[in-house]
Amino acid sequence: MKMSSEFIAGVVVGAFLGWGVDQLAGTTPFGLIVFLLLGFCAGVLNVMRAAGTVAPSKLGPKP
Amino acid sequence: MANDPIHQFQIKELVEIPLGGLNLSFTNSSLFMVATVVTASAFLFLSTSGRGLIPSRMQSVSELAYEFIAGMLRDAAGSGGMKFFPFVFSLFMFILVANLFGMFPYFFTVNSHLIVTFALAMMVILTVIGYGFYKHGLGFLGLFAPHGVPVALMPLVVPIEIISFLSRPISLSVRLFANMMAGHTALKVFAGFVSSMTAAGAVSTVGAILPLAMTVAIIGLEFLVAFLQAYVFAVLTCMYLNDAVHPHH
Repeated sequence: MKMSSEFIAGVVVGAFLGWGVDQLAGTTPFGLIVFLLLGFCAGVLNVMRAAGTVAPSKLGPKP
Repeated sequence: MANDPIHQFQIKELVEIPLGGLNLSFTNSSLFMVATVVTASAFLFLSTSGRGLIPSRMQSVSELAYEFIAGMLRDAAGSGGMKFFPFVFSLFMFILVANLFGMFPYFFTVNSHLIVTFALAMMVILTVIGYGFYKHGLGFLGLFAPHGVPVALMPLVVPIEIISFLSRPISLSVRLFANMMAGHTALKVFAGFVSSMTAAGAVSTVGAILPLAMTVAIIGLEFLVAFLQAYVFAVLTCMYLNDAVHPHH
């Protein structure tokens, strides 16, 4: 449940951003395609961070 | 109607307050939010009013909750993050008490509505953004440019980091909402099997023991989920606040 919500959130935000860019710039399919792929990457990154495979973005050991 | 597992999530207007074109009615959801806040405040106030050096039983529950959140926040965000302690503690207590309220029969579960949890998550993220820019100015944007990434990859990495950041309020709110709603729906479905199997005849009445056992087990699980989701929300809030306090390492 935790992992899937992380992944889905990434994809949904990517799709939403792409749709917004398309609405603003009138580049209809391409913004959605590009941002959906980026959102997919962000979702995978979220899942890997949640699983601890990748160090959390800035959360390394404390100085 | 009795077997409708979604019926428990319906919003009912208790006091209708139409204001202009807006519907600001006092609903059953508002009633339970007020009850949650009153209960949590009253519990903390009354249990600590003794101020015993050797805490009473109730006082040690309050102190346990305080120490738990304070330790969590200090581990995640360092002592610089401790100024957010009241915020994180209020969030934790609100979610925990609201979830536990939802475990009473016929009570409304506030966190089973996405808009409520989304409002909580947006509050967290707007605090992170607001404090990040207030404290670090444009240096806060360094959050989106990880160290050790070749410059050639920056145009790819920065949008991914931004989308990853923007997806946080969504995953934060959807996780709490989905856990509460799925759990309560499953509970109602299994409980509904008991009554409909009992009504169906003598043989199936014996079989109704199985969903009854399942219902008991799910109630135990739901208490675990109520605590766990409040904990997860607080932990993630601490991690996000750490990004605001220390945007670049």
